[in-house]
Amino acid sequence: MTSSKFPQLQHTATTSSFLDIAATLVSPKSFLFNAHCTTAPPLLPPQRSPTMDKAQQPSSFQQLEKLGEGTYATVFKGRNRQTGELVALKEIHLDSEEGTPSTAIREISLMKELKHESIVSLYDVIHTENKLMLVFEYMDKDLKKYMDTRGDRGQLDQATIKSFMHQLMNGIAFCHENRVLHRDLKPQNLLINKKGQLKLGDFGLARAFGIPVNTFSNEVVTLWYRAPDVLLGSRTYNTSIDIWSAGCIMAELYTGRPLFPGTTNEDQLQKIFRLMGTPSERSWPGISQLPEYRANPHVYATQDLGHILPQIDPLGLDLLNRMLQLRPEMRISAHDALQHPWFQDLPQLQAQLQQQQQQQQQQLGASGYGGMMPPQQAY
Amino acid sequence: MLIRCNPLTASSCQDEHRFDLNLGKSGMAANYWASTQRRHWLFTRERLAAIRESFREKDKVAHSQFPLPDQRLLNIYFSQQLNKLGKRMSTRQQALATAQVYIKRYYTKNEIRSTNPYLVLTTAFYLACKMEECPQHIRFVVTEARSLWPGRQILTTTNPFAAAHVPSEFIAPDISKIGECEFSLISEMHSQLIVHHPYRSLSDLQAELTLTSDEVALAWSVINDHYLTDLPLLYPPHVIAIMAIIVAVVFKPSSQTAFHSSPAPIAGAMREGGINIFAALGDKGGAGPPPRIQKLITWLAESEVDIKAVIECTQELVSLYEVWEQYSEKNSKELLGRMIKGKSLDK
Repeated sequence: MTSSKFPQLQHTATTSSFLDIAATLVSPKSFLFNAHCTTAPPLLPPQRSPTMDKAQQPSSFQQLEKLGEGTYATVFKGRNRQTGELVALKEIHLDSEEGTPSTAIREISLMKELKHESIVSLYDVIHTENKLMLVFEYMDKDLKKYMDTRGDRGQLDQATIKSFMHQLMNGIAFCHENRVLHRDLKPQNLLINKKGQLKLGDFGLARAFGIPVNTFSNEVVTLWYRAPDVLLGSRTYNTSIDIWSAGCIMAELYTGRPLFPGTTNEDQLQKIFRLMGTPSERSWPGISQLPEYRANPHVYATQDLGHILPQIDPLGLDLLNRMLQLRPEMRISAHDALQHPWFQDLPQLQAQLQQQQQQQQQQLGASGYGGMMPPQQAY
Repeated sequence: MLIRCNPLTASSCQDEHRFDLNLGKSGMAANYWASTQRRHWLFTRERLAAIRESFREKDKVAHSQFPLPDQRLLNIYFSQQLNKLGKRMSTRQQALATAQVYIKRYYTKNEIRSTNPYLVLTTAFYLACKMEECPQHIRFVVTEARSLWPGRQILTTTNPFAAAHVPSEFIAPDISKIGECEFSLISEMHSQLIVHHPYRSLSDLQAELTLTSDEVALAWSVINDHYLTDLPLLYPPHVIAIMAIIVAVVFKPSSQTAFHSSPAPIAGAMREGGINIFAALGDKGGAGPPPRIQKLITWLAESEVDIKAVIECTQELVSLYEVWEQYSEKNSKELLGRMIKGKSLDK
């Protein structure tokens, strides 16, 4: 439907072709209620926050270029007509056969509960006749694109790495305190804005129960950040799976390349063991009981991560090693990771970073941000 | 683990396996204290009364033209209908509980006389099933609802089976009606759909208070009953769970007392013996209650539970069981039917 309506918008940044989708707005109430009692609900709970799910009209937003296409939604850049604020508009098409998709319902309701500076904010949910529009805080790019464009062949500088890792662990800690497992942390799902903030996005709630290998579109969910216990078929995984992913991401920030770019489940495990050492019943009691466990012909010795990450300092290496423990119980928690001495000099580094960013922003000011926007799927 | 462990919240983190189970089975995630339920869907009694009064003020004519039973009696009717619907599709108890909370929330935003309650009920059920991980196909739900609430039986002499095929008066065959109503529900609830139930607090407290399985079963049914009152809109789930535990431990009724069929005995017991337990709370070291109950009292006194709130919940339940004696399914059905037909709300 979208493609026929907005064919000219794909990956273009012509801000002149604003779309007004108010015409498609039909209030659900007009279906549900009689004409003579269509008044708005007279009273709201007294504690209501000023969010305006219902009051906000789609026409409150200018729809700009397409940012990406996800499995069940299309993401556009948008602008709040009143405030000028940029937003990300995630459009979900409704199928009359199933009402509002469960995936969308879960994502929305979960995002309503999770409000945190390191988690991308859901501002509004707007219903129109045949689609649901989620209005998210606008973020400039995902971490993967950020590394591609900003880093030195993808590698980032120490201060940025530490700042990103701190924000990542902060967001993860908040999720875990709230009994939410993200389960799909990867650079594409971490969003970065111009202020150097990193936020967790895409709470792919379709994945709230078990991790599928394929999404609905049959696109393979990347294995690269998946914890070994999950790869071995453990059904009792917990918060530690997100820590493993965070460890993989940390290493990638240093090298610019994924740490374990496996192609299949088995290959993924091989790549992990080759570096982290082949686990045994002795190093990981109970491992042989896991469904996907195969007695491994190749017994690899544990390598020193420092060899492949020459830029990392000893404290950073210590934290990374605590995150990349094969045994899930041995992995550091997000809460403890935040207390790790590696983060101690963060305030000083952040001051430096701020200076850098100001300089960069001045440079960018000349060229502007208006060019091609990379596809973003993380909302 | 880093997860906050508060035995009174709806969250628990006894072990890691359980952690994931909870995510799966208890409507996901998030802790109660920061929840939208606590922030946006808890009302004071006064507030709730004011909302309802404003509905009445707005449309006095409809209110006098279409009287409805006491809210609690209506809730009993809704709950029974939901149970029937749920049974046909073997739905989890928690989804039914969530559906009941959705209905309550919805009717704080909309006057019931401007809606088709059967449609709201069916849709709340459909939406709750999605949220609680037991989704049902929309067509299946519509078919079941239509056969649960058939049209008026028209006696025909030619076909004795005709009555079974009379189309539903209340639920249209068109599935898009459910989709539209689902829109409305989600929208009126501001997409705040995660509901924290007292069931989890109950299972968390089971070990701590060494409850017997009989006591847990009874407390569970008390929790089921509290959905028939305004309590889910008035108190946090852990307060409800504690109330249910007290009722179960103190008034342990003879095992044959099935709550739903005859709530009266426990109502009587609670009225007479009931409030004594709370008197004992203030009277430390009084000779009174048996050790089992004494233990509970000590625990309560040491916990930071709002005892006044627990007492109020107990009283609410007592009055529910009293009003239950007037319940007539037929009466509720007729009044609702008259209202829906009279206002053409089924169109």
